Order: sequence, then structure tokens, then C-alpha cells
Amino acid sequence: MAIKFPSEEWLKEWENRLNTSETYAQAAADWEGDLVIVILPDENYTQTTYLYIGLQHGKASGACFLKSLDEKKAPFTSTAPFGTWRKVLEGRIDVIQAMFSNKIKLVGSMAAIQRQPKPTYELVKVAGTIETDWGS
Amino acid sequence: MGRLLRVDLTRGELWDEALNEEYARSYVGGSGLAARYLYDVLDAHTDPLGPDNPLLFLTGPLVGTSMTSAGRYSACARSPLTGIWGEANSGGFFGPELRYAGYDGVWFTGASDHPVLLSVVEGKAELHDASDLWGSDIYVTQDRVRDSLGEAKARVACIGLAGEHRVKLAGIANDHGRFAARTGMGAVMGSKNLKAIAVRGKGKVPLFAPDEFRIITNQVLALFKEDMPSKSLREFGTAGYVNVGHMFGDLPIRYFQLGEHAPADALSGVDMTEKFLRRNTACHKCIIACGRETRSPAYNDDKVDGPEYETIGALGSVLMIFDLEAVIHAGHLCNLYGMDTISLGVTIGLACELFERGLLTPADTGGLEIRYGDAEMVFRLIKLTARREGFGAVLAEGNAVLAERAGVPELSVTVNRLEVPMHDPRAYVGMAVTYALSPRGACHMEGNMYDLDMGQSNLEDVGLVMGNRHENSIEKGRMAARLQAWRNLYNSLTLCEFENPPVPLLVGAINAATGWNVTGDDLMNTGKRIVNIKRRLNFKLGMTRADDRLPELLLNPLENGGSAGIVPDMPTLLAGAYAEFGWNPETGRPPEDIPL
Repeated sequence: MAIKFPSEEWLKEWENRLNTSETYAQAAADWEGDLVIVILPDENYTQTTYLYIGLQHGKASGACFLKSLDEKKAPFTSTAPFGTWRKVLEGRIDVIQAMFSNKIKLVGSMAAIQRQPKPTYELVKVAGTIETDWGS
Repeated sequence: MGRLLRVDLTRGELWDEALNEEYARSYVGGSGLAARYLYDVLDAHTDPLGPDNPLLFLTGPLVGTSMTSAGRYSACARSPLTGIWGEANSGGFFGPELRYAGYDGVWFTGASDHPVLLSVVEGKAELHDASDLWGSDIYVTQDRVRDSLGEAKARVACIGLAGEHRVKLAGIANDHGRFAARTGMGAVMGSKNLKAIAVRGKGKVPLFAPDEFRIITNQVLALFKEDMPSKSLREFGTAGYVNVGHMFGDLPIRYFQLGEHAPADALSGVDMTEKFLRRNTACHKCIIACGRETRSPAYNDDKVDGPEYETIGALGSVLMIFDLEAVIHAGHLCNLYGMDTISLGVTIGLACELFERGLLTPADTGGLEIRYGDAEMVFRLIKLTARREGFGAVLAEGNAVLAERAGVPELSVTVNRLEVPMHDPRAYVGMAVTYALSPRGACHMEGNMYDLDMGQSNLEDVGLVMGNRHENSIEKGRMAARLQAWRNLYNSLTLCEFENPPVPLLVGAINAATGWNVTGDDLMNTGKRIVNIKRRLNFKLGMTRADDRLPELLLNPLENGGSAGIVPDMPTLLAGAYAEFGWNPETGRPPEDIPL
């Protein structure tokens, strides 16, 4: 059954799938960098939403909603409208390409992403395996 | 009305000539205008290294203005490496300074009977004896030219030992280690005994509407201060793409035969920045500053220009060398001698592959064992090639000749005899069109589909839209053709492809600079016209439709990595490109009814 995005249930599913993915564990073995995802409103989404996920050495933890950016600090914040996130998670836009084309605005160390692009790539790939209800 | 400096090196005569305004209006400047001029004078009998092969240095209408990234020039002639249209482009400050000195370009004919230097200072051009410079590397040459002229701020373009020895991979250096590297233009300079050109001037570039131009260029500048690709290029240079390119299967490894190889990540541009960067360098009016000045302590190199992504691939991953310091040093040697790192790296890569297959042995190489991963051997081969000594004389002819000598032309990774750069067409299939149809042979500067399909463009107004990098379709072929036209326009204006202002701003800048009244569609059509004149010239020089092809090695799928299993569908892609250019599908020729 499809899980609504964004929702606590979706976040937990993502976290679980990351923690059982050998490919992600391998790709992100050296990765240290929790992530905040900011979903901006667009024609299909009405509010600004903040999602957090802890990402350390190939494991995910503490995925949750935040009330604001101030609630929890993370080394990486990625911001894009709802429709862009949908395209990225559905694999219609490559996440690295989205960052390089300013479709996703990244705040954080570009060096980390450019030196190790695979963790980001696999992070999104795992999310894309979740059967998702986009609400429209 | 612009002007050209004409130099007959055989007679030692110099004279001014008004720029052909009709040609300039149709072909803009840079390599487009050079192609139009050379179409009238080149034919299949022109010896690329003979006195009859003209060598043109041309700037464009935006060069030397406040337009960001407009600091380039083109050097063009019949290529000794490929036998077809030869074109090399470089940034830095030489192009702008040439315009400040009073000329839009220099047209050399003939050949001097002794080494010479051309100086152009404040509109006054002179030839000087340069016998004492012969044998000097590019850095020494540039310094000594400035000293001998008493012009400390002169900008110098010159050749190194490779150009002097007519090595077909020789480029032209300017502004320290910037290079017009490709297609052997340095060998053409060497064949004319022309060691260097020095330019200095304080003139102003005329603008049709200066106030409007300033407003537009300020808008363009603001756009590129903070966008992600610009920030990445500023921080890590083009080398910042190494790891991403590796992930996508775009970085060629082991002579284009591996799609992924973990040690290749050690060539990271991020690591290079952190460990070996001295400072960034920028071209004229550029706010990105992608240029690198590095060091390589292990080899006692304290100041090295580069390496860029292309050099890291060609002298690193292609050769299975994953030690950044060794790659920096190899790049430095190529700089000193004045050689194209792409062409030389891919040629040495073939030598390694031939050794692996037993098709080349020490008996063929003067006792040398040429193996993947042997950095010391690469250093030695660079030195031998620059002087055409021993097996270096074979490498000096390029990859295609080496493959033919070994009896395996199918192992050559060239298109029209120019070595393939460091973007694998199996990672971005649009690059298959770019390479196959590039007027100068395999060249990434003739259509950067890897950038377009990464989303790095604001060019939707002229039909250039990001797509799926693996999509084999008629539309992908059309897209690659449109991008090829656009980049040929860029190489004629002449602009750097790293800054792509939205089309309305570019149109505004061109109109304000020139007084032309062009639209975005006009510019796209101009780009196509430029591709067409180069293609017509190539057909005149002996090329046929059968030459629109990729090397066989690149039509084998990679077994691993981000592009495993992908092969460009050439008939489909080329059909799209032909349709976009309006070429005859049978002959590949541009329509005869289109006037030049």
C-alpha cells in the first residue's frame, strides 16, 4: 500500500530501508552528515515542511519532522519545491543533476558531496523504492 | 570596421587588412570567421605543415569587453594531426590584449627561414629574430619575450619544444599555462618558424551602445556569483567533476575499457584542492576562476598550471595512474613542452593497451616496457615525444597512426584522427553526436552534452533542454546538434562555455556591442551556419559521411559503473542530428542551396 509523502510513516520506512540496504551501507560507509530536507510549497503542496534524518557511516537514524530549521542543526540542508522532490524521488531527475542545476538548493559542504557523490545517489535511490502516495 | 594584421613570414612583410564585414556579420568571429576565410584558400592539396597552410588567430566581437568570460581566442589552420579543419581555443588574456593592441586577428602565411617573434604593441607590428628563444620551454619563452621587448605587461602566445619539432600533438600556450591545445596548431606554428606572438595595447574595444552593454553585463555577472556550478568550479576547478564523472561512468578508465574502478576516486579534485592547490586563476573578466595553480612536492614542482579534469583523466585514469602528484607532474611536463594532454594521454594509453595485448613489444619501442600504472614511464614518454626521440617520434604522430602501425586501427580511440576527450559517450549518449560530427574531430568543446544533461544551462529559449543522459532517440540527436551549433557560436564570439547567460541577456549583449539586431533564433541559425561552413570545408579536404562515426571501442558496452550496458545508437542519433542541420541523409552534405 502506498505511503503518503511526507509523513512520519514514510520517513520511518525510508530509515528502515536505508538500514537494510547493503548497497547504501557500502556506498555511505565513510559518510558523516545528517540531512534536513526542506519541502517548499507549490501548486500541489501548500506549506513549508522540514524533514530530518541522521546519516552516519552507512546507517540512518532519528528520521522525523521538524517545526523549523532552528529545531535541529544538520551539516546539510537541501531545499526544493514539492514537485521537484517528487521528480527526484521518482527518478525523473537525478539528484546530483538537480543539485548542479540549482533545482535543489544545497547548504553544506560541496566538497563532501563532490568527493563522495554515491551516498547521496543511493540515499535517493532507496527512497525511490518506497511505494509513495503523492496526494494527487 | 575591424582590422586584421596580415603577416607573410616568407617575405617578412606585414600589412593591415580591413575585416571582411560581410563575413564577420555571417560568421561572427573566432573559429567561425576563420573557417569562412580559410574556405576560400584551403584545398585537399594544402600541406598542413607547409608554407601554404595559413594560420589565423582570431578574436570575436565580445572579446576584451566587460562581458564575463569573453576573453578567448581561436587559432585555426588545416590540422597536421587530422588533415581536416583545425581549431584550438584558449582563454586567459591574450585575446583581449590583441584587441587592445589594435587588431581583431592575425593571419599568418608562408614560413620564415629562421625563428621569429611577432610583436604587436599599440598598433605597431614587427617581426624579430627569435633564434635565441628556440629550444626554450613555454614559461622561459614568455618571460624572455617580455624582457626582450621591454614590455613587462605584454601577453605572449608561444610554442615549446613540441611545436618546434612539429609534434602533431603540439599546442599553443598563452598567459603562463593556458593552452590552445588541440589539433596540432603548435606544430603549424613550428612549421612556420614562429616561436611567439607578443601583444600589448591600451586601446578600447568599440561598443555600439556602451551604457546598455554595461547594464546587461552587470546582470550577467550577478547571475554567476552564486549559482552552484559556478561555486563548484570556483572551489574545485573542473577537477571537481572527477568523482561525479566516475559515478556516472563518464570518466574514462584503462583506455576507455572500465566503467568503474575504486582507485580512480583518489584523483578527486576536492582532494587536489585540499592538498595541492596554491591558488585559483581566472581569465579576463571571469568571476568563476576555475583555473588551478597547484604544486607537486613529490616531484619538486612548486608552481604548476592545472591540472584540469581533462588532464587528470588523460594522464591519470586512462593510464591507470591514481597518484595525483604524479598526474600533476605529468601535466606540468606537457605544459613545459607545449603538448595537448588529452591527445598525448590517449596515445600513451593506446601504447599501454598494445603492450597488454602483445601487439607492441620492447623491440618496437627501443627497449621500453610501456605498462598501465607506470608514472615514471609516462614522464619519460612525454620527454621523448616532445623531442621526437626514439619511440617518441611514433607517439608524436598521435593515436590513429600508432593504431595503424600496430595493424589494429579498430583500437584507435579517435574521431577523424583526433583523440577522444574525457567524457565517455556511453555515459551521455548525446556526446556520441558531438564527437562524430565535431568539425575538428572528437572534441568536448563542440557540444557539452554532459553539462546540458546535468541541467547546467539557461538555454531553453533556443530549444536546449536537459534530458535523460542515456536516451537514444531522434530528439537527443537533434538536441546534440543544436548544442553543437550553440557552442560553435560561442567559439566564434568567443565566449567560455562555463558561463551561459539566459538567451535574452546574451542577445542583448551582442546587440549592444555590435549594433546588430539579432534574436535568439538568429544566433542558433548562425551557429548552424558556422557548423556548415566547417563541414563544407572538411568535405573539400576529403572527408565523407562515412567519417561521421564513433571509434569501435566506444561502441562496446561497459561492464560496470554508472553507464554499464549502454551503447549509443548511432543511426538513430545521427538521423536526428542530420535532420536538425538539414543535411542530406545519404551524403551528409549541407544543402547546396544555402549560400555561404
